[in-house]
Amino acid sequence: MEGELTFRMIWWVLLLPLFGFLVQSLLGKIVMDSLGKRIGRIVMGGLAVAPVAMAFVIALGLTKQLAGMHGDQTVILTLFEWITTKSLSIPFEFRVDTLSMTMVLIITGIGSLIHLYATAYMAEDKDYTRFFTYLNLFVAAMLILVLGNNLALLFIGWEGVGVCSYLLIGFWYHDVENSKAANKAFIVNRIGDYGLTLGMFLIVMMMAAVAGNGMGFEDPRWLSYDVIFANIEGIKNAFPPAIITLTCILLFVGAMGKSAQFPLYLWLPDAMAGPTPVSALIHAATMVTSGVFLLNRMSWLFELSPVAGMVVTLTGVITAAVGAIIAFGQTDIKKVLAFSTVSQLGYMFVACGVGAYWVGLFHVTTHAFFKALLFLGSGAVIYAMQHNQDMRNYGNLTKYIKITSATMIIGWLAIAGFPFLSGFFSKEEILHAAQAYHVEPWVGQVAFWGALAVAVMTAAYMTRMTMMTFFSGGERWKLIPAHAHGHDHHHGDHHDHDLAHGHDHGHGDHEDEHGFFYSDAEMAEIAARTPHEHHHDLDETHTPKEVPWMMWVPLAVLALASIFGGAGLVYWTSLEGWLSSSVVVAHHEEAGHGAEHATEHAATLGSILTEFFQNPLFWMSLTAFAVGVGYGVWRYGKGLPENDGMDTGKWNPLRTWAGRQLGYDELMSDGVALKFGGMVGRVFSWLDKTIVDGIVNNVGALAQRIGDLFSKTQTGFVRGYTVLMQLGVAAVVIAILYKALMGGGQ
Amino acid sequence: MEPTGFGMISAILALPIIGALLLLFLPPDNSKGIKWLTTIVTGVTFVASLALLKQFSSDTFHFQMVEFVPWMSSLGIDYKVGIDGISIWLFMLTTLLTFLSSIFSFYVGKREKPYFLMILLLETAMLGVFTSLNLIVFYSFFEVSLIPMAIMIYIWGGKNRNYAAVKFFIYTFAASIFMLLGMIVMAKQHQQVTGVFTFDLIAWQSAVASGSFWQNTGNLQMILFWSFALAFIVKCPMFPFHTWLPDAHTEAPTAGSIILAGVLLKMGTYGLLRFCLPLFPEAVQANTNIIMILAVIGIVYGAIVAAMQDDVKKLVAYSSVAHMGFVVYGIFSLNHVGIMGGAYQQLNHGISTGALFLLIGLLYERTHTRAFSDMGGLKKQMPNFAALFLIVMLSSVGLPGLNGFPGEFMAMLGGFASAFNGSFGLGLWLPFIAGTGVIFAAVYLLWMFQKVFYGPVTNPMIGRLKDLKKWEIALVGVFLIFVFWGGLYPNTFLKPMEKSVNAVRQMTLNPAGRRPAWDDQSYEIDEAGDLVQQERLVSPANFYSVTTQDDLMRMDQEGL
Repeated sequence: MEGELTFRMIWWVLLLPLFGFLVQSLLGKIVMDSLGKRIGRIVMGGLAVAPVAMAFVIALGLTKQLAGMHGDQTVILTLFEWITTKSLSIPFEFRVDTLSMTMVLIITGIGSLIHLYATAYMAEDKDYTRFFTYLNLFVAAMLILVLGNNLALLFIGWEGVGVCSYLLIGFWYHDVENSKAANKAFIVNRIGDYGLTLGMFLIVMMMAAVAGNGMGFEDPRWLSYDVIFANIEGIKNAFPPAIITLTCILLFVGAMGKSAQFPLYLWLPDAMAGPTPVSALIHAATMVTSGVFLLNRMSWLFELSPVAGMVVTLTGVITAAVGAIIAFGQTDIKKVLAFSTVSQLGYMFVACGVGAYWVGLFHVTTHAFFKALLFLGSGAVIYAMQHNQDMRNYGNLTKYIKITSATMIIGWLAIAGFPFLSGFFSKEEILHAAQAYHVEPWVGQVAFWGALAVAVMTAAYMTRMTMMTFFSGGERWKLIPAHAHGHDHHHGDHHDHDLAHGHDHGHGDHEDEHGFFYSDAEMAEIAARTPHEHHHDLDETHTPKEVPWMMWVPLAVLALASIFGGAGLVYWTSLEGWLSSSVVVAHHEEAGHGAEHATEHAATLGSILTEFFQNPLFWMSLTAFAVGVGYGVWRYGKGLPENDGMDTGKWNPLRTWAGRQLGYDELMSDGVALKFGGMVGRVFSWLDKTIVDGIVNNVGALAQRIGDLFSKTQTGFVRGYTVLMQLGVAAVVIAILYKALMGGGQ
Repeated sequence: MEPTGFGMISAILALPIIGALLLLFLPPDNSKGIKWLTTIVTGVTFVASLALLKQFSSDTFHFQMVEFVPWMSSLGIDYKVGIDGISIWLFMLTTLLTFLSSIFSFYVGKREKPYFLMILLLETAMLGVFTSLNLIVFYSFFEVSLIPMAIMIYIWGGKNRNYAAVKFFIYTFAASIFMLLGMIVMAKQHQQVTGVFTFDLIAWQSAVASGSFWQNTGNLQMILFWSFALAFIVKCPMFPFHTWLPDAHTEAPTAGSIILAGVLLKMGTYGLLRFCLPLFPEAVQANTNIIMILAVIGIVYGAIVAAMQDDVKKLVAYSSVAHMGFVVYGIFSLNHVGIMGGAYQQLNHGISTGALFLLIGLLYERTHTRAFSDMGGLKKQMPNFAALFLIVMLSSVGLPGLNGFPGEFMAMLGGFASAFNGSFGLGLWLPFIAGTGVIFAAVYLLWMFQKVFYGPVTNPMIGRLKDLKKWEIALVGVFLIFVFWGGLYPNTFLKPMEKSVNAVRQMTLNPAGRRPAWDDQSYEIDEAGDLVQQERLVSPANFYSVTTQDDLMRMDQEGL
């Protein structure tokens, strides 16, 4: 088949980043040593960006080819047999379809922008090539995750991206808090993977039963999507709904881990310890959306279980709300974005839960645009502000970093739901889908009103962030006296105070005696990282500078995508129609709304606007936007409110409580994991030492004493052996007697 | 069976012995010569085992290259060796790991001659264990292998070596006494049934397959099963018989630890697969739930205790308890995918844990400490070492794409399938608990990595360390080849095992008279995995469930 030949190019999409990984890991050090730091960085940076960019170009071509295909837009290509046994066969096979290619475009497209950005952001780092080693490997693993045609391949990618995330969170390993955050990410993800693994086992069981009912064991590719999808009817008939629901929920537990859903979201805020490009690529745009991808991929199975759908919806609503509330209490600009990501991921699951899988993926896409933009923008701000991440030290930055400010303001408007920017469209679709959910009306109501409330909160806390950073009058870092940094040892009491608060603020903010906020753990780390560079601290003499082109070009591109992406995926090309060949979409079409868009290609601007203005939903979300932004401007527009950052004020306890993740993180990390886990561990160790091994030693001692009775001349080995031999003989005699008494024998 | 004379297997078994004899002629102070001689001999043995592998055929479950030399036939003791899909990779693992650990042992600087003598003797003993087909011969190798290891711990071990060596020796020896007695009863029983007093495994199994062996024996099968199983369970080791292992590992010299973890523990799981399953089918089916529960306790318990250790070697030792728990869990799930997984996982545990002990050994040669409190920040000082350690650590965590994953995944799937189908009285809660083992594995291994490699350098000694030398990287590199190979293309290793595993499974689960017999060449496992006898279907594979008498009657009625 001619088409298939073209689609073989998909291997290059995987091989290029993999090749980049090998180049970075094996040649990185040599090149850097032989060409010198400056040229070495250009060469290795180029070698890191190029493979991902080339993969993007190939993926674009393949997507175009796929769009031109008629009928079933699915191509399956097998590279080699991975695990082959008679009872389970898992080939290394890729599935090129509309869903996987959508994800591939996001990964390689945004991935190459972020790689480009990182060439500048990480330029001062001595471990420059190590960074790109991990980043290229991440892209490769992520591609395996989305392109694999079976759940086991998905799992390779799933854990592969987990490892890359682990390595990148702990990238600055000098600070042990960073590696603790990395451990936390990996371990919490493993809890999710535990669910995913068991879910896979259940699928194998179902497929084995279907095989027993006639499909046969000739080709046991039971984790392959095409085989599962072809036997959905068989599964439905062979098993009670409870088993199918259990399977779906176990798969969803995997999604909860990777996509940071309550109660497993805990790792994502800590993951901000990694370099900012990592936060943008892995912890906002791609990896954390894998869970949504999984639900889209398995939508055929989830369709069989309304209960699982409800679980997904409610988890999504809770996560969205919790994330948004906590975001209000953050002072670290990256933490605000982290909790915003948690909250937005909850949104995506609401969409999947109510059966509008494609809407979930729509929000994945738009969120990838504006959240990557916001993270990269925050990175630019942090870069301009001497790696200080505390928003309380910012203010009025529009004056200094114009491109960054402009693009970030676009990102803010997009996430807040400003009409006709990308976030507006996907949010609107989610609200609509929740409204149209009729399987269990109260769930739909909770989802709708919850999502609307979160929309208000999102607009509000994002406005807070934007105001504190770019507007709000004073340039607060100028109030930091130049000598403040030498005073570390005077702040012992503040250190203690921070310890008492647990470690959810990876780098505890240290309040200067003059009342200013800078994180000195952060500062010390920067100083350690760049020992030979001239380094000046954030203080009154500092003037923020605009970032180099490698950093602002990605910002500009993502800003454009954040403006037009949403409208483009509805009107220019219908994402719903595009995904309909790989994801369940037809189900909720009776509600009409989604289908209308697909047929509206020819609609004029006027008719589109009229349609919106007649839709009450439009006015509701517009109100949400206005209320949220209005509150944010009112409260933060003029500067830092008195109780925001200070330790007094009426709302401060509440705000601090939200900042401390409502105490949940402390409960789980310190209480359950460290205290309870430690206790269990100590109990088990004690058992092992005193009981299990104690018995052994006592038996040994006893044997020795008996042995002494027999002979005083024999040495240790023989003595013990003799006794045990005798004990053994005795046991067998007893056994034979027992046998005789039990009436066996001939 | 006609005597065949000695052949290739015997030649490989003899190579280390010949090396040991040559070693005797070298003066004890010629340390270089001793080390090179041993390395060359173990290297040649490894190459010879490759030649054996080349001759090995994956098309049959029967023993291959069987050598039979009559010895004390009147006592039922003859020299009989052979190899099949279950033993072939363990054989290869032994020659490989011995070779690699003798290269590492260039670091040994005290009483080299007896040390390398022990390594060579140990190699022959281990290879003998995996090839013997006569139980007395097997038992002799099984026990002889203890002596060099115990001596290695006793002389070249750490501070507490005396206690560790004695405990190791007595504990494992005591457990296998019961097996010896069991063997004698088995031979007697065989004589009662067939009139021949023999310790020949193949003869015994043939009588078991036909159903005559255990006819009207009451509880005898159960008692003998436990007498065998106990020896192997202690060897694995399984909870609650594992406490000799942490002591032995902590005190053993590096090469000893590599071999102990890599090969000696596998004698336990090998014994379960080779002897317990085929010889005691009913007893296995009746007791598999007990063993599965012990395995799952070991998985969780080993992991939790591992997390509490402050000694690197002790941590890895307890991780072995957890990992070997997975192996036993897979084997005793008694379905196709589970046994395959268990049999595969034992190889990869040998590779991963062997590599971990090697790396810890390389570190110990530099720091002379194993306590976490003395480490920290090593990554900055030894980046190459850290990178290699990371990969091996991840392979032990069971990261997909590396060698720890396929076996663990299949073993867990096997256990899940048995519980899901309600076989052998297993509840579905069991695999749900077993699965937590993968979470705990991440906990203790990541903690270990963090404590050793991350954070600031606090110990000035760490600041003086040098990164790995080229030859050391190459040595670890050999392990890494198998880490990637085993993870990316496990089929190389799975395919040769498959028929033997399938046959063992059918020996255990099929009703008497429908079981494959090692001595009957007309039985074969066909392409679909079914048992056939000269084109006639004897029993379908039934990969995930147990073939019942009803199934077979229906099959007969349908004229298959």
